[in-house]
Amino acid sequence: MSERTTSQDPREKSAEPGAGAESGRWSSKPEVDGARAAVPSLGLRGTLLFLWRQLTSMQTALVLLMLLAVAAIPGSLYPQRSVNPALTEQFLDENGRWGEILDALGFFEVFSSPWFSAIYLLLFISLIGCIVPRVGVHLKQLRAKPPRTPSRLTRFTGYTRVELPGEQADALIESARRSLRRSRYRTEVREERNGRSVSAERGLLRETGNLLFHIALVGVLVCVAGGSLTSYRGQVTVIEGDGFSNSLTQYDSFEAGAWFDESDMPDFRFTLEDFRATYVEPGESGKVGEPRSFEADVQVSTPGQEDESRTVQVNKPLHVPGASMYLLGNGYAPEITVTDPEGTVVAEGPLITVPMGDVGYTSQVVLKAPDAQPEQTAVVGFFLPTGTIDEQGPRSLYPDAVDPQLALTVYQGDLGLDSGVPQNAYEVDLTTLTAVPGEDGDPVLIRLYPGEEYELADGTTVSFDGLRRYAAFDIAHNPFERGILVSALVAVGGLILSLFVPRRRLWVRVREADGTAVLEVAGLARSDDPALETDVKALASRLAGAHDGNRPPDAASSGHPAADADGGHREGSAQ
Amino acid sequence: MINQQLAEISNLALVVTIVLYVLALIGFGADLASSSQRRSDARLAARERQEAEQEAQPATVGAAAGHTSGTTTGGSPDSADAKGVADAASAGDVTDPAGAEHVAAGTMTAQRFAFVLTSAATVLHLAGVITRALATQRVPWANMYEFATTSTAIVMVAFLAFSIRRTELRALGTFVVGPVLLVLLLAQTFWIVPAAELTPSLQNSHWIYIHIGVAILATALSILGAVVASLQLLQAKHERTLAERAATEDFPEHWGRFGHVLDRLPSSSSLESLSFRIHSLAFVCWTFTLIFGAIWAREAWGRFWGWDPKEVWTFIIWVIYAAYLHARATGGFRGSRAAGLALAGFVAVIFNYTIVNTVINGLHSYSGL
Repeated sequence: MSERTTSQDPREKSAEPGAGAESGRWSSKPEVDGARAAVPSLGLRGTLLFLWRQLTSMQTALVLLMLLAVAAIPGSLYPQRSVNPALTEQFLDENGRWGEILDALGFFEVFSSPWFSAIYLLLFISLIGCIVPRVGVHLKQLRAKPPRTPSRLTRFTGYTRVELPGEQADALIESARRSLRRSRYRTEVREERNGRSVSAERGLLRETGNLLFHIALVGVLVCVAGGSLTSYRGQVTVIEGDGFSNSLTQYDSFEAGAWFDESDMPDFRFTLEDFRATYVEPGESGKVGEPRSFEADVQVSTPGQEDESRTVQVNKPLHVPGASMYLLGNGYAPEITVTDPEGTVVAEGPLITVPMGDVGYTSQVVLKAPDAQPEQTAVVGFFLPTGTIDEQGPRSLYPDAVDPQLALTVYQGDLGLDSGVPQNAYEVDLTTLTAVPGEDGDPVLIRLYPGEEYELADGTTVSFDGLRRYAAFDIAHNPFERGILVSALVAVGGLILSLFVPRRRLWVRVREADGTAVLEVAGLARSDDPALETDVKALASRLAGAHDGNRPPDAASSGHPAADADGGHREGSAQ
Repeated sequence: MINQQLAEISNLALVVTIVLYVLALIGFGADLASSSQRRSDARLAARERQEAEQEAQPATVGAAAGHTSGTTTGGSPDSADAKGVADAASAGDVTDPAGAEHVAAGTMTAQRFAFVLTSAATVLHLAGVITRALATQRVPWANMYEFATTSTAIVMVAFLAFSIRRTELRALGTFVVGPVLLVLLLAQTFWIVPAAELTPSLQNSHWIYIHIGVAILATALSILGAVVASLQLLQAKHERTLAERAATEDFPEHWGRFGHVLDRLPSSSSLESLSFRIHSLAFVCWTFTLIFGAIWAREAWGRFWGWDPKEVWTFIIWVIYAAYLHARATGGFRGSRAAGLALAGFVAVIFNYTIVNTVINGLHSYSGL
């Protein structure tokens, strides 16, 4: 990260000790300084340039990052339409005016709101504006030779000076160069007045990683945008024994991006053969009634392939070419038959009930029979897998179908289906309906067990013929998923390089005077690099030791220059 | 099947662990207190000595001062402490490497006692976590209680790993064992749930090992990072105060009630660089948490990102830590302001772990807690 500043803000350079040798390359941006100094007299072009510089500055990036974090908070505190539309409507109903104000400000669609989008788009523009020039600079750096050895090494890290009488300067320089090269330094031997020096540099990978990280983040954003334009996602509900074939009409709900093409939907079909669920039974550890497993056996057929039996579970989706299918819900579908007073069967077969969210799977039953005579009929009530009816009303005690029963009330009147307003199949408006009274004149609560039938006073009959289960699946496809994953992994790879590869310079200078070689070694850390000092000293003592003969050459192996974060390069270094 | 016996052993081990941590905390506290006593004795002695010398030979004050600092390198705790005080203004050197080092090996100091207890407690802590895993035949991080016990165990192991060789870091024991104890007590009182099998949403997926394992690591590193960053802030304030006082006083008093504690800790700049290293690792772990979470979300829910409250808050954590890393490299933000951002990130971690788990309803709410 530090490199971003260095390239951005020339003032930063002064904070780094001994940046002098390099400062020419990294911070000479006269146009930056010029723009800042000359604000009042800028023309349109100058003003734009100034604004651009401001946008791409590190301070702006910081502010935008913090804004992004703060702006995301309401997205977790208020219900979001995209995540939970029902909860959002409920919140709006309960909060009246305040809710409306929040809604107008986009607090229920935070992540697609103009202000949130503005923040992240500005952030990415700022990022691109910062990255592009740095890529150029970095490419130049990769080709450049290590910078000249500073004339005075004394002020650099780990400065060590050793006098070696009777040593050959050339031999020292050569062994220094070889040792540094083996430790993966880029080296350059330079002739100087009365001596020679090796200037070495390593850790350019740090900046490479940093750039890679930021570029890959742009890649993630681009792929996410591409995905939201081309992906689709739909919900289907399938009762045991029933089938599904992948076409738009079969979905309960369906969302797709703007560029989604219906003809791209893969052709596949399946039959739900069996759905199994197990729950924590009394006496087992855990909360009684808590689910333990959900399994849906499906028979899948895809064009050009043989049918195959598969089991879809939570965390084990079904993948077919071009789409994936996820098991996300389940419930009961009691088979209910309703006949009207004239004896006509007006409803028959399994009916999907909606679990109310309690542990016992108390499920809502809404059955509409618009063809019933003399009046339209609705059967409303509950399905109870392990039922009881007490002072709290009908409810289920356990999610498995141990003692399945229906608790129903029959209503007659106008179902409102002709009004043209689309209706939710799982809801009914009771205001235009009246409950069918029993002999005592009160509404009747019908309690039915499988195989039973009940006849109301007016001749309407309701029977509970059998029980099936249903499974709810999401079918989704996002062609950009792979791109997002690859970009994210590249980003994290770059991040690791940019955080943990130390970037440093090392210099070895040898001057000869009166048959004595004077060896000077020093280093400059260009990132957090606590090992630099010991590495520099180790190199110095090894060079001195190797030529002195006092020290076995491998004695210094513990403090080798390469003994830093990426220790993987240690092998093959000079010993 | 749940092995109830093992589950009970695990609970017992964790209760005993808590008791040991309490004792260790007392030890670390006593160590800090005793060092403050030694420190103030030394200051008093130095002042008296100088006053006596001033009276005797007013002309050779400089020589006397030179003598004091000259004998410190390997000297007695008293003179080392005197040097600590004398040099406090220039900071950097206040790292009196653990008073215990001057004491002959084998002597039981408060700090050594606390460290041994902490090590034993950590072993027991790990045993508790592992028996829980064995009892349930799965990873010990399927609910808040297990997440808390496991991540604090990681914090302790990391602390021991850092301080087993660098003995001066042991002085930080109070600040590590304290928060860990707090989390364990919370877990033991509010979050504890009986050992149970996994809910379907956590079954059949190896991502429970990877995603949550990395998340635990990230959380543990964030806790450690926050401890170091707050000490860094205190130390920076302490150093500033000392520098101001040194300009006017010969023997500056410590800043505030914790000044004597701060004297024993590394300088703010070395704390800063430690904090940066911990937070860099934490940031990488949070990045992996997000990526692996996205992969799992895609396998489980059919989408890689859905702005679930947990996802939102992990994103917020990630952005704040990213801001910290940038701030650290920006003029005017380096040092204390960047540390402030790191602490803001930690607040988000806490929020993500507590409020998001318990108050806000989302897809990450499993098994009660």
